[in-house]
This record gives sequence, C-alpha cells and structure tokens, in this order.
Amino acid sequence: MSTEFTKWLRGRSDEQLRELVTLRPELITPVPAHVEGLAGRASSPSAVGRVLDRLDRFTFAVVETLAVLPSPVSYRPLRAGVARALSGPADSAFEARFRQTVDRLRTLALVYGPDRALTPAPGVREVLDGPAGLGPPAREAFRHYHRERLAELVGDLGGGGDTAEALGALLADPEVVARLVGEVSPQARSALDELAWGPASGRVANARREVRAATARSPIEQLLARALLCATGEESVVLPREVGLFLRGGRIHRELSPVPPPLAGTERTRDLTDRTAAGQAFAFTRAVEELCERWGAEPPGVLRGGGLAVRDLKRAAALLDLPEWAAGLVIEVAHAAGLVAASGAVDGDWMPTPVYDGWRVRATEERWVVLASTWLATDRVPGVIGDRDERDRLLNALHPDLRRAAAPEVRAAVLGVLATAGDAATAPLAPTLDSVRERLAWEQPRRRGPHRDRLVEFTLREAEQIGVTGLGALARHGRALLPARAGDDAAGRTESGTGAGPGSGAGTGAGTAAGLLAPLLPVPLDHVLLQADLTAVAPGPLTGELSRWLALAADVESTGGATVYRFGEHSIRRALDAGQGADEMLAMLERHSTTPVPQPLGYLVADVARRHGRMRVGTAGSYVRCDDPSALDEVMADRRAAPLRLRRLAPTVIASKTARSALVDSLRAMGYAPVAESLEGDVIITRLDVRRTEGPPQLRAPAVSGGLDAEVITAAVRAVRAGDAAHRARRKPAAAPDGQVPRSPATATIGALREAIRQGSQVWIGYLDSQGNATSRILEPARMEGGYLTAYDETRAAVHRFALHRITGVADVQP
Amino acid sequence: MADGPLIVQSDKTLLLEVDHEQADACRKAIAPFSELERAPEHVHTYRVTPLALWNARAAGHDAEQVIDALITYSRYPVPHALLVDIAETMARYGRLRLEKHPAHGLVLTGTDRAVLEEVLRSKKIQPLLGERLDGDDGGAVAVHPSERGNIKQLLLKLGWPAEDLAGYVDGEHHPITLAEDGWELRPYQREAAEAFWHGGSGVVVLPCGAGKTIVGAAAMAHARATTLILVTNTVSAHQWKQELIKRTSLTEDEIGEYTGTRKEIRPVTIATYQVMTTRRQGAYRHLELFDARDWGLVIYDEVHLLPAPIFRMTADLQARRRVGLTATLVREDGREGDVFSLIGPKRYDAPWKDMENQGWIAPADCVEVRVTLTDDERLAYAMAEAEERYRFCATTPSKTRVTEALVNRHPDEQVLVIGQYIDQLDELGEHLGAPVIKGDTKVKERERLFQAFRDREIRVLVVSKVANFSIDLPEASVAVQVSGTFGSRQEEAQRLGRVLRPKAGGGGARFYSVVSRDTVDQEFAAHRQRFLAEQGYAYQIIDADDVLAGD
Repeated sequence: MSTEFTKWLRGRSDEQLRELVTLRPELITPVPAHVEGLAGRASSPSAVGRVLDRLDRFTFAVVETLAVLPSPVSYRPLRAGVARALSGPADSAFEARFRQTVDRLRTLALVYGPDRALTPAPGVREVLDGPAGLGPPAREAFRHYHRERLAELVGDLGGGGDTAEALGALLADPEVVARLVGEVSPQARSALDELAWGPASGRVANARREVRAATARSPIEQLLARALLCATGEESVVLPREVGLFLRGGRIHRELSPVPPPLAGTERTRDLTDRTAAGQAFAFTRAVEELCERWGAEPPGVLRGGGLAVRDLKRAAALLDLPEWAAGLVIEVAHAAGLVAASGAVDGDWMPTPVYDGWRVRATEERWVVLASTWLATDRVPGVIGDRDERDRLLNALHPDLRRAAAPEVRAAVLGVLATAGDAATAPLAPTLDSVRERLAWEQPRRRGPHRDRLVEFTLREAEQIGVTGLGALARHGRALLPARAGDDAAGRTESGTGAGPGSGAGTGAGTAAGLLAPLLPVPLDHVLLQADLTAVAPGPLTGELSRWLALAADVESTGGATVYRFGEHSIRRALDAGQGADEMLAMLERHSTTPVPQPLGYLVADVARRHGRMRVGTAGSYVRCDDPSALDEVMADRRAAPLRLRRLAPTVIASKTARSALVDSLRAMGYAPVAESLEGDVIITRLDVRRTEGPPQLRAPAVSGGLDAEVITAAVRAVRAGDAAHRARRKPAAAPDGQVPRSPATATIGALREAIRQGSQVWIGYLDSQGNATSRILEPARMEGGYLTAYDETRAAVHRFALHRITGVADVQP
Repeated sequence: MADGPLIVQSDKTLLLEVDHEQADACRKAIAPFSELERAPEHVHTYRVTPLALWNARAAGHDAEQVIDALITYSRYPVPHALLVDIAETMARYGRLRLEKHPAHGLVLTGTDRAVLEEVLRSKKIQPLLGERLDGDDGGAVAVHPSERGNIKQLLLKLGWPAEDLAGYVDGEHHPITLAEDGWELRPYQREAAEAFWHGGSGVVVLPCGAGKTIVGAAAMAHARATTLILVTNTVSAHQWKQELIKRTSLTEDEIGEYTGTRKEIRPVTIATYQVMTTRRQGAYRHLELFDARDWGLVIYDEVHLLPAPIFRMTADLQARRRVGLTATLVREDGREGDVFSLIGPKRYDAPWKDMENQGWIAPADCVEVRVTLTDDERLAYAMAEAEERYRFCATTPSKTRVTEALVNRHPDEQVLVIGQYIDQLDELGEHLGAPVIKGDTKVKERERLFQAFRDREIRVLVVSKVANFSIDLPEASVAVQVSGTFGSRQEEAQRLGRVLRPKAGGGGARFYSVVSRDTVDQEFAAHRQRFLAEQGYAYQIIDADDVLAGD
C-alpha cells in the first residue's frame, strides 16, 4: 500500500471524493472505514479493472503510456509520448482533450500526483499486463535466467555484469538496441517486426538454447543470442519492452485518435424514423398481447430443464407471423416483464400472470414503455435461442441459462452510440453494424470479443423489432427511455457544468417516452367495414370492447396495420355458444359498421342461429326408462326420491344426477326392481376456460450497476472522512454518554436519523446489542437502507451497521 | 400521408380502401407488383408475391418504385422487414441472364459471380449446361438451346429467375392484318396486344367475355407470321376459326383445324389440348405439330388449364414468341411458377369490375337459392354413402321445381341451365321442354342448337360441363346452376363468364345457384359464394320457398 497515494487521496477535497465515488460506486459498497481503506480498495485489481473497463481508447492509451514510461513522469513528456501516436498534428483540440483526460484520470484516482510528477495509482501497472501490447521490461523478462547465461549475454552486448538489471540497463539505451538490430539478418529483422506491434510473445522450438552471438546460425538464434528475444518457457519467447519500443520508433501506440471514429450509415428523416418505429412498437405490443391471449387458452408446457419446447416456439412464430428469433424475443420480453410465468416448477405450463391483466388494459404507449424498458434492463439474451451451450445442449426460449450479465450494459452502450448518430433533431443516422462495433471498440477497448460483438448485433435487430429504432435510427421515444449515460458522459457533464445541449436533457424516462409515442400510434376505431365475402376489415386498431367481440364472433385472417376478420358458420356458432343472440349480433354489426350489413352475412347469422341449440346436450349420472309412464309418475311423486335429483326428460325417461349404482340401490330401497343398463354418454365442453397462474410472478429485480444517488454519496464520503479523522487521530472511543438511554417512537427515530444523514450531524442513540444489553452510542449516520443504518460509531471509533429495529431511540448530542 | 388508402399487412397482403379518394391512383401504383386477390365492395386485397415482384421487374419497375408506392399510399408505417424483403426479392430477378452469344449460341451469364457459382453447383442444373466459356472462372456458361425452358424452370425453383434476353426466331412470314370493318379494337385490347408484343412473350389476363380472342388476333397481326393456337376443345376451336375469319384478313383456307377428326396444318393452325396430349403406345403422337412449320407465334388459350404435358412441350419452344390468354392466373394445381417461366411474365391485366364499369362486360347479379329437402330426402341423405352424398343432394328432385320456377321468372330472356349430372340434366330438359347438350351430343348438333339459341329460336338450353369453356353464347342473360364440380372456383368463374358478354339490350345478367340446404352442397356453395363476392359481385341468398311463393 502506497502511503503516498493514501496521502494524496486524503488531500483531495470532499467535492473531488464525491466525484470519485460517483464514478466508481463500487468503492463505497460497503463504505470503507477510513481513507486508507478507500485507497486500498481503489487500488485492488478488481476495482482497477472495473474502472479501466469503462475508459475509452484514448483515455486508456494515456494510462498505458503512463504505465510504460518510468514514473513519475511530468505532464509534458507524457503528452509528447501520447502525441507521437497521433495520425495528425497535435493541435489545440488534442491539447484540450489531453488536459481533460489527465484531470479525469485524477478524478478517477487512476493517476495521482501533481502535473510535474504524474504517477499511475498502485495496482494499475499490475492490472495492465503488457500495456499497449508491449512485452515486459528486460529486467523482469530475464530475471529467471541463471547468472552464467546472463553474464554471457551482457558480455556479448558489450557490457559487464551478470544480473538482469545490468542487461536491462544496456537495452534501455536505444543506441545499443539499434546496433544489435542492425547486426541481425533480414529474416531475423522481419521476425522482430512481426512481434513489434504485439502480441509481443511468440512460439519457437527449443527456446532455451544457449547460443552466443558469434555462433548463432538461424535467425532466431541470432535474436536469442543478442537478448532481442527472451525465452519465457521451453517453446515461448517474448520481445523485451525496450526492444519493442525501439522497433516502434518511440511510439507506444501505432495510431491514436482523441475523438471517436465517425459513424457511417444512412441518414434518415426524423419523421419517417419515428413513424416507422412507432409502427413497429405497435406491432410488437400487439404481438405480446396476442401471445399472452393464446397462451391463456392453450398454455405450452414447461420443459423439465426449464424453458419452452422448440415446437412451441415454432408454433408461436407461426401464430405471430414472425421469424423464430423475433418470436423468441416476444416471448422473452413478455416473460421478463412478468406477463407470462410458469404455473409450477414441476409439470407446469407457461401462462399469463395477473400482471398481464393489469398490463392489458393500459394504453398502448404505456404498455410499450413497460416492454421496451424491460428489454433494456433484462440480462436475458433472446438472440441465443437455438444455439447450443458448451455441453452441446440446445438453449430453448425461456431457458434459465439464457442470461448474459453484460447484456443490459451492451444494450445501453449500443443505444448510446445510436443516440449520438447524426443530427438527432432533424436527420438521425442509421449506422451500419460495423461502424457501431468500431465505435464501441473505441469507447470500451477493454471490452471486446465475439460474444460482445454478437450482443451488439442482437441489440440492433431487437431494437428495430421492438420499435426503439426505426429504419436503423434511434426514434425519439426510444431515446427517452435511455438513462442519462453513466460513466464517461456523466463525468463530461459534471466537468462542463450543465448538459451539452437540449438533447442531453431528454433522458427523463418512461413518461416522456409514452408522451412522445402516443401521438404516433393509430387511434383506436369503433367501426369496421363489412363485406359480402363475409369479412370485416378493421382499418386500424379497434377499441377493446369491439375487438373482443369480433375475436369471439369471427376468425382473424390477417393482421398488421389493419385486421381482417372472417365470419363463418363456426365462428358464429362460437359466439352463440358464448351466449350471444342472433338479434344482438346483428345489432352489434349494424352499430359498428359504416355501411349496411351485407345480405349474405345477415343470412348466415340467422341461418346458424336457426339451427343452433335445436339439440340440447346435458350431463346426467344415470337415467331411468320405463315403457309405462305411470310407473315413472309414481317415482317422481315419491318423496324419498328427492335426494336423487330426478328430472323427467320425456314421459318414459327420467334423468338423475346420482350415479347408476346408487340410483339402482335407492330405487330398490324404495321397493322397485330396476336393473342396470349399460350405455355410454359423451360430455362436451364447448369453451375452454382461460387460465392464469396463481400468484404474481417472482420477479428478479435486474442488478443495477451504478446509479447511487447524490445523498448516499455525500453521506458515504462524510462517513469515510469521519472514520479517517478518527483513524488518524487514533481517537479514543468516546465515553458512552451518561443519563437515560434515549427513547423515541420508531417513526420519529427513522425521521431523526434521516435528518441526521442529510445534515451530517451526530446523534445519540440507544441500541440493544446482540446480547440484548441496552447500550448507548454516539453516531454519525451515513446511510440507511434495507433496515440497517450504516454510521460511524464515535464510541467504538469505527463504521458499523446497526439494525434499525434494535435502535430504541434517538436524541441530539448535547454540545 | 397518414390517411392514405392502403394498409400493409404483416402477411404481405395490401388492403386498399376503394372508397378513398386516392384509391384509383394507389391501385395504379400497386397493380404492377401485386396480384389482386379479392375485390369485394369496400376493401380490395392485393398480395405481394415473389412472382408478382418478378413480373414487375420484368415489366421494368425497380424496387425503389415499389417501396415508394407503398410508403406514399400507406396509412400506417410500413414494416421495415417487408421493405427489405421486397428489395431483396426483386434484386434476384435478372442476376442471371440467358443471352445469345455470337459464337456459342445460347449462354447463361451472371452479373453476380456468387449467384452464378451457386446455381452452377446445383445438381439439377449441372446436366443442362455445356462447357464454361473463358476458362474455369468465366462469367458465362453455354446452354443447349433445347434446355432453354427447363433451365428457366429450375432457376425459378432455386429462387434466381433468369431474364430471357436470347430473343426469338421470326418464324415463317405470313401476312395477317386486322379487318376493322364495323368494329374496332377496344382500347384495353390494343394495350394488351402491344404490352405483349413489347415484352416478347407473356400472359394477358382479361376477364371472361372481354374478348380475349380478339387480343389473340391483334397479337397475330403484330407478329405477321404463321401461328399455332392451342385451345381447350373442338367447339372452342371452331369459335376461334370463325372469329379469326371475321376479324382478320385470313380466309378459311389459311386456317387449319387440328382436332380429333381433322388434321389440317395450315399457316394458322388451331389445335386442342386434348389432341396434343393424346398418347398412343406411351408416346405423344402429335408432338410433331410443333415442328410441322416454322411457327412465329404460339397462342395458349385458357392458360390456367394448360395440361402438364403441354408444359413440357412448351419448354422446348422457348425460341418462339408465346402469348397466354386467361381470365385468372390462379391455377388449382399451383403451377403459376411454370406459367411464369415457360410462357412468360404477366404482361397485362385489368380487373373485372373496371371493365364492367366501362360497359365492356355485363354487370351480374348472383343469387343463391336454398332449397329445403323434404323429410324423406333428408333421411335418405343422412343414410347415403359419403361419396354419394354430394351427388344425392345436388340432384335432389326438389331442385327441379325450383329451377322451373326460376326459369319462369324470366319469360323474356335467354336462359342457360347448367349442371354436372347427366340424369339430372335429362330430367330437367324433359321438365322444361328444352334441348340438352352434353358430352355425347354431336358437334354438328351442338352448333345447331347454339345457333338456334343465339337466334332466339330456343329460349332455354340445358348444358352439361362441356359448355364451361369458350363457347360464345352472347345473348344468355340468365344462368341457373343446379350442380357443379364440388366447389371449384375455376368452374364458377367460367360459368359466370357465360352470362357476362355485353347484352344487346345493355341489361344486367342474373346468375342463380340452386343449393340444397344443410348439406355438403351448401358447403361447396359457400366456397363459390366467397369467390364471387371476392370478385365484387353482388351476392344474395334467398329461400326456395320465396321463389315458389312468388309465382
């Protein structure tokens, strides 16, 4: 632990520390006890790795340069080192950007010290293994060589000594390296050039052979003999950093741009983009509804390993008239939004939840916002449905393994890129996939790989499908859903004061998105066009009542902007079964048709109604038949027959609810002599019940990274400061205050604590410790969440967590 | 824009609201690349199919125009995926071409090397190809001229329809001109003939009764070459002959009939599908007709009925100009793709309703009359074998009385009674006192009866399905259909066509279907009803009791 770093950190103002923890929230979860703790955490490999992950290529290159150059380095040489890699001249834009970058790195506590002595924070060098693709310095690379070999090498290089340090000192002189490189054969030179721009390691056979400069024959031997290559294993070699730097001509990066690469793509018009996206948003919302309605009536089963069978996915795709990946997206989003869930862990079905019923009745734009924000936040990746995992098992839709932790972050990053594409107000740009990838590679150089590239591709195609983008460009209602960008942008904003322009203030969330989307959606209609070919065309979305009625009385034939319904004998009968009357149906048709009801349609309704219900079907447990009606009269009149629930169907037939054997027994008991008769009857169920899961779904809140609010940050910094003050003063624990342990009602306690957190003041509390002893403490509360109070305990001189329910009361500390 | 007349559906159908003020302009814009599927009174349905898009490409439209038309007239945003799909589909046409090479004859060339490689690797295509020009990676492959049709068919199946630019042989010259004395070519007939001639080969779609024969004659006048005409049956062949004598400079000696009874080969020869597909000892004996002369033009009447063997023969005729005439591109066997690749793309089409509005065909009123079976008949129907059921309910005696009442309703009009079953027709003929034309009626006798009907000497004629096609009965204004070939839409269109020819008096036509209630007959009728309503005809259902009571 570098005490200098700790000292520097302690010297930062409260404001600067607040910025630090805003940008690196992981440093205060949980809140460290003092600045030393904070410094320790800030230089731990995982924390450094996380913050480096968020740097763009330029900033990252500055860190790498700093790590390569010997520390401390002052501002000017550092700038010169970076400027060498620029493709253009180091103009004033670069100057400004560089200044900003160095300040930013300081804010992030990746670099410390004044401008004349900039030093990478402890831990940074260790995390940057091979910065800028360079190998290790010679003094480290050759460390494991034995002394005799080192002596040989140093000797061949024209120096004296038998240590890696001596070798390193020789190689550090560019003239020496230049001479050595000049000596080797062209083949050896081209081998060096291969390794120059990284990766710095290569493979050769028998790397450890001990050859001298004079006897070296093959190109590799020439290099090994001159310490231009260092063996790191039996078959691996590495280019020492000094040699690499020489070969790069003093540049550390091959090329570097202080600004992100421009996006290439097609320019769209604002209006067309928004309209197209809105159309897609409408279609997507409708697809989710259609899916839930179908699954309500015919829920598909949950596979034993979780997930949805391929067959059911195909079926859903056919139902929704979408390709399979898009159907998978609909299913996954519906699930992530809690609209569908498994009805049971074992042998369950996928079916709509009560949440769906609430969602269904909301306005289309609000429903869309629910779906789109769910998609943005979910860590599930519908795009990999149909892939095979590493054990060659098929990944089904809704399978538990469809999670990728990086997914929400990649989505936010991709849409963030789209948000900057083109002129957002008039001519948004639809960037190509490659140019988005290139931009992301610049923005997050440490986060790359085929997995992420696929996620980028998924994001673009899914955003289009959901209607966040239209024709490849971000729609205004899509932009409204994006959070104010965390990380670099937030920093940019705080540094430059207010936001950059009107666009940056738009990330105000769901309400705005719904407001922007609503006027673009088609207005629900309350009429249809009836035609003689027995179709009804709804030239737009219908009001709820009418669409439900039509769904009952007609079959949907095609969907899209409009819906085409077809009336048929079957559908009319279905409506009659559901209790509609013929006159009622005709009246409904007349009311909602702008044109007269075609004669064949009226005829069809009347004709089906004429035959409907002419036959009656019921269920009976058993029946009694007898050729002599008077015998049955007698049975019906018998008071003992009442519990048998008899019904006279015809003069010679009585039906009963009781089972046949019971009926026979009862009749025998009544003095008759019936015999049982064998015959089978069928039971017909005309409509299936729509089903729901029993309770609301157990939703996992998506893990939120970042986004601590200002109050928490302020409190955390205060707690660290207080802890630090105590730590440094080696302050003795304050004596527990005398007098009555404070008591106050629970609500007042919480109120007082919250107030204390806000003001940063000390309070005196009564606390029951884990043994049940009443104690009293002086606290400086920092944070309250999840039933716990985090505070600096003056009486113990440490940060502790207190269970709120054990705090018996709060009082002000007497001055 | 937000209230355009067009709605694009996700299944690639287009809904056009006909009462919209822009409906006409929109129809013109979308007609080239979509097939009219249904045309009921308020909303017409068009379908965008790959074939339709390729037809549009063949007619010189590009994807930009198509997408622009959709975006301009669409009421709601057009799904991006659909636009992408359209652009991709259209881009597939013409990537491969059949061209004439000065040295190697017919060659297949590709503007896109990847596509060319893909099709060359296809196992089915390989045997049709000759050597590759310009070495192993040359951009052209020789094709044997006899495989010109086959390769086009196969390429279409692979989804890469080839553009045929190899041209045509002129054929043997023969002077033919139209004789426009006392009549003239209707504007749409002229347009259709010119569209065909300009395109080289292709299909002209015109409704029944719109004068397709005359379009054929006009095409011949363009070609001015010997012509082979393929028609459905002998009566139709006679009809063509008479029409050609009347409408063109051709004389009786110049026109030959190649039918079951006569085998004449003359500069203009009319052959029937039947004789062409007659096999003896497993071989098509009349195939040589195709090579009998150096034909400059081949006309296919009723292309939607073209039998499969003729397709195969047509595959060998790709160097000759071909024109197909039909009322509908819908084939019950789904071989629309073969028509596209072997005869040619659609060159002209006009919707029935428009022609009716312009007075070229008579407006028609369709009425379905539902006959209630008597209790005895119902019992017998319930007990009938499944395969006998249709026959039973279609020929039920109750229909006879109703038919009689219907015929009596129109005492001053020419009435056709059309049916499927000979027994029933005989009985009806006896009952109505009308002559019956059926399969075994001699051709001479048939023509005598038709002439008598035309001259109004006979008021009622009972005909079997032999009269379904191509028989010109100009003055029939009422048709009563008592039974049919199950639910064939094809047949329905043809039968309706019988009464659609413009009437001397200018009045409308009436088309009755007599149907037995609550039987399979009614189910089949529902198919036909749907078809007619989709064609835009007013359709009504009445009860037979009302008809009987009305008298």
